[in-house]
Amino acid sequence: MTGHEWDDKLFRMLSESDEAAFEERAPSRVKARIYSALIHEQQETGPLQSLSETRAAGHGLCIFEELVQITPFGEKSKSHFLCWTCHARLLAENMENAPIYWAHCPYGAFQER
Amino acid sequence: MTEHRPDTTVDMRLVAEVLRKDRKATAEFVSRYTDWVYSYVRRRVMPQTEVAEDLVQEVFIAAWRGLKSYRGDASLRSWLLGIARHKVDDYYRKRLRTSDWPDSDDESVAEPSVIPMYEEQMDRALLQEKAHSVLASLPEAYCLALLWRYQEERSAREMAQLTGKTEKAIERLLARAREHFKRRWNHDGA
Repeated sequence: MTGHEWDDKLFRMLSESDEAAFEERAPSRVKARIYSALIHEQQETGPLQSLSETRAAGHGLCIFEELVQITPFGEKSKSHFLCWTCHARLLAENMENAPIYWAHCPYGAFQER
Repeated sequence: MTEHRPDTTVDMRLVAEVLRKDRKATAEFVSRYTDWVYSYVRRRVMPQTEVAEDLVQEVFIAAWRGLKSYRGDASLRSWLLGIARHKVDDYYRKRLRTSDWPDSDDESVAEPSVIPMYEEQMDRALLQEKAHSVLASLPEAYCLALLWRYQEERSAREMAQLTGKTEKAIERLLARAREHFKRRWNHDGA
């Protein structure tokens, strides 16, 4: 096989690779870290949308968010990102298939089940 | 003649919610698109998995910073993959600028010209798997140069412009990278 043929072969192997063959799920801990990083970025320019507004937009809240949401505190306290202090975030950012089973936890939604 | 545009209504709704900093919509954004971006990036920076993970995060941060500019002219997925392509290019450019280029004299073994016959009969998936495993065994500069040239289809001139090297230097690097690739390929197949 000549050098030219070899180059052609190498080119074909690397350029014609089947995208479908490489479709793969991102690890759930990667999604968890991206989500945390995005929320951190969002908070750099002001508070998050409050939990009341999020709920009004039709999104479900996790049990901890529900508790905060029904408290008679101001809207400001409902804009805090409660997940910073939640063990679910820590688990999800550091392990695959973290044992998070309660509803509407974003970190739970990233798990492969 | 009417211009065909993709229906991006759902994408636009999600973008509007993310821009309002709705945490659940942001989670949906990550959930819905990370697999696409990850597949795209990982395939291009194989075998460096950790690099892929960092780049994917950079893609999403850049997307958030530029989200206001998303107009729905293309699907959100295509828009994100466009950012991913830039990030991958940046990665190749920076690494090729800073990584050590192995000396041409090392491992100076005659270039083999024959590929064992059985490899001609290997199916495409196996060939690609082997190609990536051989790439993974090469010095980083060789691996990056081959991926950038052949997978991303960048010309030697473009690579030279982006890295600040001369076209001749890039061509020499590519020649050595191909030589090493062939040698490892045949060695692994022996």
